[in-house]
Amino acid sequence: MTPLLELQDLGVTYRTGEGDLQAVRGVDLTLQPGETLGIAGESGSGKSTVVAGVLRLLPKSATVTGRVLLDGEDVAAMRWGRLRAARWSEASVVFQGAMHALNPVQRVGRQIAEPLRLHTGASATEIDTRVRELLEQVDLPPAKARAYPHELSGGQKQRVMIAMALACDPRLVIADEPTTALDVIVQAQVLDLLGRLVAERGIGLVFITHDLSVLASACSRIAVMYQGRIVETGDAKDVITAPHHEHTRALAAAFPEVGDPASRYAPATSEPLPPEGERDPQQPVLLSARNLRVHFRDRTGTAVAAVDGVDLDVQRDEIVALVGQSGSGKTTLARTLLGLQQPTSGEVHHDGRPVPASASGLRDYRRHVQLVLQDPSSALNPRHTVYESVAEGPRIHRLGGNERDIVVAALEAAELRPAERYLTRLPHELSGGQRQRVVIAGALALNPSVLVADEPVASLDASVRGEILGLLLRLRRQLGLAALVITHDLGLAWNIADRVAVMFRGELVEVGPVEQVLLEPHHEYTKKLLAALPSPGPDDARYAG
Amino acid sequence: MSAPVWARRRAAAAQGWRRFRTNRGGLFGAAFIALLVAFSLLAPLLIDQDGLDVVSATGGSLEPPSGEYWLGTDESGRSVLLLTLWGARVSLLVGFAATLLSVVVGTLVGVVSAHFGGWISAVLMRITDFFLVLPALVLAAVLMAVLPKSMWTVIMAIGITSWPTTARLVRAQTLAVESRPYIERSKALGGGHTHIIGNHVLPSVLPLVFANTTLVVGGSIIAESTLAFLGMSGPEISWGSMLDRANQSGAVTAGAWWYLLPPGVAIVLVVLSFTLVGRALETVLDPRLKGDR
Repeated sequence: MTPLLELQDLGVTYRTGEGDLQAVRGVDLTLQPGETLGIAGESGSGKSTVVAGVLRLLPKSATVTGRVLLDGEDVAAMRWGRLRAARWSEASVVFQGAMHALNPVQRVGRQIAEPLRLHTGASATEIDTRVRELLEQVDLPPAKARAYPHELSGGQKQRVMIAMALACDPRLVIADEPTTALDVIVQAQVLDLLGRLVAERGIGLVFITHDLSVLASACSRIAVMYQGRIVETGDAKDVITAPHHEHTRALAAAFPEVGDPASRYAPATSEPLPPEGERDPQQPVLLSARNLRVHFRDRTGTAVAAVDGVDLDVQRDEIVALVGQSGSGKTTLARTLLGLQQPTSGEVHHDGRPVPASASGLRDYRRHVQLVLQDPSSALNPRHTVYESVAEGPRIHRLGGNERDIVVAALEAAELRPAERYLTRLPHELSGGQRQRVVIAGALALNPSVLVADEPVASLDASVRGEILGLLLRLRRQLGLAALVITHDLGLAWNIADRVAVMFRGELVEVGPVEQVLLEPHHEYTKKLLAALPSPGPDDARYAG
Repeated sequence: MSAPVWARRRAAAAQGWRRFRTNRGGLFGAAFIALLVAFSLLAPLLIDQDGLDVVSATGGSLEPPSGEYWLGTDESGRSVLLLTLWGARVSLLVGFAATLLSVVVGTLVGVVSAHFGGWISAVLMRITDFFLVLPALVLAAVLMAVLPKSMWTVIMAIGITSWPTTARLVRAQTLAVESRPYIERSKALGGGHTHIIGNHVLPSVLPLVFANTTLVVGGSIIAESTLAFLGMSGPEISWGSMLDRANQSGAVTAGAWWYLLPPGVAIVLVVLSFTLVGRALETVLDPRLKGDR
């Protein structure tokens, strides 16, 4: 049988201002119909370039070597018209970031119909029927065809993207990070849907992600890319359970399995963790929320409770993980705790005293409770050097002492060593992990007692993730620094947290020690979250494929 | 501020200059403006001001260009060359002063409105809208009629009518900057309004304002000439008022092209120079614009 897709010695080189950049070198891959191939790798590993190469979507500055055979036909040799027909009707792409890949001013039904109008001669009613069919296939009510993208949730938008990709009955679907921006429950639904489509219709699926655990549950074969090369390829289970290449091991370790004792209090970090000292169970409560409510008004004026009666304590020397789906009110809760959002009712206490509402009172409060944001590349002013970014807090609070010493000490504490080397750098000269360390250093410069971290590793590469989590754990062990870590990732909670608070629709439905909540969940929602985790368990039926 | 900050700013300025240099139009404009500004500042030392006085002027009425009067004379016998050179002083002064006024007011209104939002923004934006829809020339004419006739009234009239576009531009840019997470981080660090505006908003808005400024100067010079041509100006000699007098003294019917062309060409050259520099600065700030123009 001719393979659906065959890459022979594919190489892609970008011409840039600083010379040639080899993004992809010597990639060989084959995909049979009805097969799911996962490509794993970090940002910059060349995985998205491979996809663009298949459908000749690369920019002009790219030079392609080697051969791409689509159903036995060389893509490079295709004429323009043939290529256009091949795109979508034979091979289609589900792009990453469903938020940005849809046109915001067109109804989604029209957008799904677009490839149909372009590639088939179907009449208006035929197209309508087909769109309804497609929406049903991706488990969306056909009435949603009349919705605009902003009226859909992230998962629904992603499903619209998949419906678009399936519109012309392609034999090959390439999904580029289709679940990265989604939370676990929606991710499970999308993965399930893709798996079903492969099984029912015998299409070939190429699945690209940096999250090895997602691939483990969705794919039969995995190829791991690193610096433009495929460093490991094989059966999904073998790659996950017995990785050969160092990089695969790092990727696999970054996404721990909840319940695995080996990864408890052990994020994948290269530096050894300090041993756990004597822990006094009776630590003072530093930050507490009492019956906290935050209401917003939506466009129609109806009050929506983002945070609905939350009681939460964070003690000294403890890491609390706040988990929940997107839209559950986690970030609003964090912003309220920091005084960035006024509560509708209820109180936030710090060190036993209510958080002041006055401007100067709030400023003093913020010396003690600090924020680490999700995306470090936008959390730093691109015009400010590392030195200025870290010194910003001490300058605002007019901290005494030598500013340079404070900055260097904070950078050292955030493990950017030697600190002097980073002082004059600008954010764009740093890697994602280094930027996040700068953000953390900026918080540490104020010597806070609590860190509130909103998805601190969600936008970082897998190998960096463990390092940042290790840093948070080390800071707790060495300085007794308390942290409230907001995350959608239960593995993170398992890695570093002492207690977990599960948030669902503005309420905390379950709060307790990590082992108790994650291993013996009581609330239905917690069970659902845990069940949605992609797990490479040997009994998994999806492995049969 | 520490030393590395200044070193970095110097490096950034040097790089900006390198990029600016590649734009020939901008370079020409900048050179012309520099020359004109230098000359205007030194003019009182170089030009015998008796020649500008109607009483002590020596030439005949509307004489064509000759060896003595290179660009001929006006209806009172003054040298047109001298008048044109002297007129640059008023035109440039009005251009710069009105621009300063408009840019300061516009930036202030734009930043304050975007930063504070809410009712402050609503009020400021309605005021901006009010001035935006007023016909600029009519408002300026009314102001000139009500207030004493002087150069400063002209400056005020132009400044008042040209700030709303700057305010809109600055507001849009401020809103874009303020939606960045690093502003949230700064707030969480305890930064107040002055800190956020001074450290984060202004440094990223000002380069844009600066590029916009050079374009506003050109516009202001045209506005001044228009008002002066319509008879609304102080007693000072400017290019606009020269055109006005040429028109009234019948230079057009007399075929005295030497009286009309020099101030007109001067206006075109100066405005063109400012526009070229403004465009070049925009390219420096945003290199993406380069390919498209």
